[in-house]
Amino acid sequence: MNAFSRGIRNAFRNTIRTVAIVGMLSLSIGLSLSMLLAHQAIGQKITSVQKNIGNTISIAPAGIRGFDGGGTPLTSDAIKKVKSLTHITSIDQSVNDRLGSDTTNIQSSIDAGSFGRRQFRNEGGGGGDVAFGGESRQAPDLTNFTLPIPVTGSTNPLGSVSGSSDSSVTLVSGNVFDGSKDADVALMGKGIADKNSLKTGSTFAAYGTTITVSGIFDGGNTFSNNQIIMPLPTIQRLSSQSNTITSAIVHIDSAVNLGSTTNAIKNALGSTADITNDADTAKATLGSLQNIQNVSLFSLIGAAGTAAVIILLTMVMIVRERRREIGILKAIGASNVRVMLQFTVESITLTVLAAAIGIIIGSLAATPVTKLLANNSTSDTTASQTAPVGERPGPRLMGGGFRTHFNNNGAIRGIKNLRANVDASILGYGFGSAILIAAIGSTAAAGLIAKVRPSEVMRAE
Amino acid sequence: MTVATKGQAMLTVTNLTRSFASGDGLVTALKDVSFEIPEGKFASIVGRSGSGKSTLLSLLGGLDKPTSGNIIVDGKSLAQLRDHALIAYRCSTIGFVFQNYNLIPNLTALENVMLPMEFNGHVPHERAARSKQLLDQVGLDGAKQQRKPGRLSGGEQQRVAIARALANKPKLILADEPTGNLDEQTGKMIFDLLHSLSRSENTTIVAVTHDLSIAGRTDVTFRLSDGQLVTDKSTK
Ligand SMILES: Nc1ncnc2c1ncn2[C@@H]1O[C@H](COP(=O)(O)OP(=O)(O)O)[C@@H](O)[C@H]1O
Ligand SMILES: [Mg+2]
Repeated sequence: MNAFSRGIRNAFRNTIRTVAIVGMLSLSIGLSLSMLLAHQAIGQKITSVQKNIGNTISIAPAGIRGFDGGGTPLTSDAIKKVKSLTHITSIDQSVNDRLGSDTTNIQSSIDAGSFGRRQFRNEGGGGGDVAFGGESRQAPDLTNFTLPIPVTGSTNPLGSVSGSSDSSVTLVSGNVFDGSKDADVALMGKGIADKNSLKTGSTFAAYGTTITVSGIFDGGNTFSNNQIIMPLPTIQRLSSQSNTITSAIVHIDSAVNLGSTTNAIKNALGSTADITNDADTAKATLGSLQNIQNVSLFSLIGAAGTAAVIILLTMVMIVRERRREIGILKAIGASNVRVMLQFTVESITLTVLAAAIGIIIGSLAATPVTKLLANNSTSDTTASQTAPVGERPGPRLMGGGFRTHFNNNGAIRGIKNLRANVDASILGYGFGSAILIAAIGSTAAAGLIAKVRPSEVMRAE
Repeated sequence: MTVATKGQAMLTVTNLTRSFASGDGLVTALKDVSFEIPEGKFASIVGRSGSGKSTLLSLLGGLDKPTSGNIIVDGKSLAQLRDHALIAYRCSTIGFVFQNYNLIPNLTALENVMLPMEFNGHVPHERAARSKQLLDQVGLDGAKQQRKPGRLSGGEQQRVAIARALANKPKLILADEPTGNLDEQTGKMIFDLLHSLSRSENTTIVAVTHDLSIAGRTDVTFRLSDGQLVTDKSTK
């Protein structure tokens, strides 16, 4: 028997009280731990969002609406002007076209269906020039009709796969070519490759030329796997669109310069182009993330404060209740320090026990709490951010666009998929905070213990 | 007055006064009290309720400090003891027995007796052995030694308290109405226990009591009235 074992034993002296105190404490410790983990997870998300969005600017020909036509294509000269501006690290350029059955010997992996045929018949009646590269044709044989294949000439080949979320485009085989060098090579979506039994190294015919498949990619869905990507100058040459750019994505050095650089580009290109940046998306995404982070921080402070108050009041209550016992210990020769040690051990026992349960609660609750916070604060943002993407000007919707806007979506989608990272550090935080809370609780107890006069034991109860 | 000359004084009290600030004014619980108790004697203090008996015992035990006056125990002046020395004094030089036993409720009888030895720095196995021996000596049998105070009778609890007071072989035992909560017969047994201890161990005992038949059997009796010593009579 010593001050340690007495302290531990005293923690369990009154079962109902022990259960009540440990219950309350473990809930508040568990809550503060899950808030801490949520806070960390959101912090990491903010860092990655800051890295991935808010530093790109899209340039599209003014008024163009996908393959509906409209607008005058940009020129390579215009892009050169943009390139000379400051803060610009790189520009991804692309030009779009579609391969019909008359210009290639391969087939789309997407079945046209009756709807597609009707569409085609209407288009064949006239006005299909833009879509089919300006070549005029005879009315085609509708029974053998397949959908045209979107083809993109791009300086950033894998980055221009359309219809796929941020990091989900993978190269299944082969190599990525240099998109700025003219060569008769192509990256082919897995869907088309499978449909036409092509492999890396196989060749196919398009624009009257033999093209070699340099690699096959998987974009994760049917739409993105039904595309062909080729070098920008090659498509410009083969589709007779030399000097033409259908869209460009400007990467800048830092999100801080987004506004000024956007204005500089607008001044350089005038009314010939629609310039949009992802500032609003970034702001909305970061704003909601920062909101959740604040909520989690305040909840963390609140829950930890509650735990400290619980143990503080508990210790005050326990010391007051055992005044006489403290007096006895002092009267028979215990020092203040020894009595304080005993009560500190008691409070540490209670908090460590509560921390052990709190860590389990925190680990289990961290991810649901993070998701709950994220879903509540971002549902509005997500709804309002998703809609404008489809309405944005430019040909991105139909193919050949860059992944930037999918990045934005990805960032927001990422919030919903936020996962708290529960690892061994939770043990450190849990027990560390328990000791800290116990220490806070014990200081009040120690003050009261020092005040108990041993002569009080002489009084009758 | 023959006693005072026998042996050396264990306890010398000179001009002891203790006042308390209370509400409207000052309550003087003890006024200019002086006396001496030789080593190995059993002294009793009698007096009506509120006459200052407990106040005197608190001062003797180093639980409280006098307003003025001096206490010398075993040649040492209590006024000169610093915090650490005062704790050691309470722990080893004296042993306290209280009217309401004042045992720690969630410790067994044995553990209660071991407490002062822990404070004194004895190693655990020594504490256990001596505690058992002391409890045997005061007549608490083996099974009851493992019981908590709540499961012992008043007389048994007071035996445990006496064993605890003896734990560190004190020179002076201070007992504040040790039989006050016990029936007459049990009270007499507890008194006899204290008496035989003072004989066998040459321990000096100062016991406050209401019971004049008990007081009549001690070596010396002091009577307090309104904080002042009124008689100083030796019975033996
Ligand atoms: N801490 C204190 N504060 C104020 N008055 C006290 C205190 N302790 C004792 N007294 C007063 O001193 C007087 C003597 O008390 P006490 O020594 O307990 O008497 P006894 O033990 O003889 O019954 C009483 O009037 C009591 O009210
Ligand atoms: Mg009294």
